[in-house]
Amino acid sequence: MAFVQAFLNGLLVGGVYALIASGMALIFGVMRLVNFAHGAFLMLGTYLSYYGWVLLGLNPYFGFPLWGAVLFAFALGVYWLLVRRVMGANDFLQILLTEGISLALIGLAQLLFGADYRQINLPVANRITGFGSLHFSVGYILSFAVSLLLVIALTQFLGRTEMGRAIRAVAQNRTVAPLMGIRVERVSAITFGLGIACAGIAGALLLPIFWTNPTVGGPYTLKSFVIVVLGGMGSVQGAALGGLVLGVAEQFTAYTWADRYAEVVNFIIFLLVLLFRPQGLFGGKA
Amino acid sequence: MRRLPRWWPTALFFAVLTSMPLWITDGYVLQLIFRVVIFAVLGMAWNFIGGYAGQLSLGHVAYFGIGAYAMTLSTERIGWNPWLGVILGAVLAAIAALVIGSITFRLRGPYFALSTIAAAEIIRVLVQNQDELTHGAVGTNAPLLFQAPNLDAKFFWGAVPLLGAAFALSTWIHSSRFGYRLRAIRENENTAMAVGVNPAREKLLALLPSAAFTALAGSMYASYFSFVGPDTVLTLEISVQAALIAMLGGAATIWGPILGSIVLTLTSEIFKTYFEHTHLVVYGALLIVVVIFLPGGVISLFMRRSQFRRQAGPIGSVQG
Repeated sequence: MAFVQAFLNGLLVGGVYALIASGMALIFGVMRLVNFAHGAFLMLGTYLSYYGWVLLGLNPYFGFPLWGAVLFAFALGVYWLLVRRVMGANDFLQILLTEGISLALIGLAQLLFGADYRQINLPVANRITGFGSLHFSVGYILSFAVSLLLVIALTQFLGRTEMGRAIRAVAQNRTVAPLMGIRVERVSAITFGLGIACAGIAGALLLPIFWTNPTVGGPYTLKSFVIVVLGGMGSVQGAALGGLVLGVAEQFTAYTWADRYAEVVNFIIFLLVLLFRPQGLFGGKA
Repeated sequence: MRRLPRWWPTALFFAVLTSMPLWITDGYVLQLIFRVVIFAVLGMAWNFIGGYAGQLSLGHVAYFGIGAYAMTLSTERIGWNPWLGVILGAVLAAIAALVIGSITFRLRGPYFALSTIAAAEIIRVLVQNQDELTHGAVGTNAPLLFQAPNLDAKFFWGAVPLLGAAFALSTWIHSSRFGYRLRAIRENENTAMAVGVNPAREKLLALLPSAAFTALAGSMYASYFSFVGPDTVLTLEISVQAALIAMLGGAATIWGPILGSIVLTLTSEIFKTYFEHTHLVVYGALLIVVVIFLPGGVISLFMRRSQFRRQAGPIGSVQG
C-alpha cells in the first residue's frame, strides 16, 4: 500500500511540475530560449501569493489568476527591455542573460523580503483526506487539480485559438511565419509572458503546501529542464507528461532508497535521456 | 627613444602585484586583493574552455569543490600535508574532468550547459549526503596552508604564482595552434571538423588544465577562509562567477579574466557596504549589462575594434 501511496503522491506533486515545465517548454519551443530564470519567476509567484494572503487575506487558490496576470505583465516588460535583444543571438549569450535576470530577481527578493523562510497556514490546505489506508493532504490535491486544469487550458489555447495557431506557426518556422502575416515579436512576447505566468502560478499554488524564500526557485529551474528534456524539447504535452513522470520517479526514489537522493536520480535520468534519447521519452524521431 | 619590450606590462604588473603585501598593511585590503587574484585564476581557468573553445560550462564549481574537499579530507582523514592535498585535488579534478567531459562534450549548446550543471549538482548532493566522509551539509574546517603570523601576506604570495602559471598557460594557448583549433571549434564545430580538428579531443585537452587550475583556486580559497561546505564551495553561484569574470573582462583574452575579477570584486564590495544582501543583484546586473551592451567585455573598451576582433572576437558576434 505504501507503494501505491508513493505513486499517488508522486502524481500529485508531478501535476505542479507539469505546469512549471509546460511554461518552460513553451518558451523553448517558440523562442528557442532556454530560460534559466524560470525558477526565479516561480519564486516571485510564491511571494505574490504570500503577501496576497498575509496583507489582503486573499486565498492563493482564488488569487492565482491575478498573480498569473501580474507576472504575465511583468514578463512582457522583461521581454521588451532585455530578452528581445538576445533573440537570434547564440545560446551562449541567451543563457548568460537569463541567468543574469535570475540572479538579479533573487537578489532583489533578498533585499525586499529578506532571506527568511516564509510559510502560510491555510486551514483547507492542511486538512487530510483519504480512502482506506491512503492519505492525502487537501492542499496537494487542490494544487494538483488547478495545475492540471491550467495545463489543459494551455494546450486548448494553443490548439484552438488564432493566437495559439500563430504561436505554433512561429515554433515551427520563425522565418516563414512573418511571411504569413504573423508578428513574430509580439508572438514571442506573449509566449514569454504565458510561460512565465505558468511558473508564477505554480509558485502561488506551491506556497500553501510548501514554504518560500528567495532561493526557492533554483531546484525548479533544474527540474523543469529535466522534465522538458524528458518530454522532448519544446513539446508542451510532453512536458506535462514528463512532469508527472518526474514526480513519480522522485517519490519512488524517496520511498525505496532515500529522500535525499531523489535529486541525484533526477540528474542521472536527465543525462541518460540527453545522451541516449535526445528526442525525449515520448517524442518520435529526433 | 627605444621602444620598451613587449613583455614590460606583464612584468610590471606581476612586480607590482608581488610587492603589494610590502606596502599594503591593511588586512582587509590584502584579503580583497587575494580574492581578486584567486577569482582571476578561476576566470582564466574557465576561459580555456568557455572563452577559447566557446563551451558554456556552468559546472566549474565541481572542480573548485573537488580541490577544496580533497585538500581538507586528505589532511583530516589520512593525515597528509595539506600541500600534498592541494596537488591531489588538482589531479582528482582532472580525472573528474575526463569523466564529465567525455559525457558532456557529446552535447552541444544549451544541452551542454545544462549537463555541466547536472554533473556539478550530482557531486554536490553526493558530498552533502556522505556525512561520514565529508561532514555532509554542515561542512567542516579546512586546514591552513600557511602558519601565522602574516597569514594574509603568505596566502597572497601563495596565490600570485598560481596566477602566474595560469597567465603563462593563457598566453601560450592564446597564440598556439592549440588555441586556434579551440577558436575554430567555438566559431563552428562542423567546419572545424571539416578542416581536420577533432573537437572531442581538443575540448577535453582544454578542460583538463581548466579543471586543475579551478581545483587549485578552490583549495587555496577554502584554506584561506578555513572552511569547506556544500553551500560555499559547491554552489552554482561559483560556476556562474567563473563565467561572469571571464565574460566581464573579455572572453578569450589573456587580460580579460584579471580585469573581470577586479571589476566584479570591487563592485560587489562597494555595494556590500551599503546593503546586506546585494552580491546577487550585482552579479545579475553585471551579467545583463555585459551580455546586452558589452559582449566583448571591459577589455574591448581599451582595444581598437579591428585589433579586438582579430585577437578575440566577441562570442556573440559569430553564428548570429
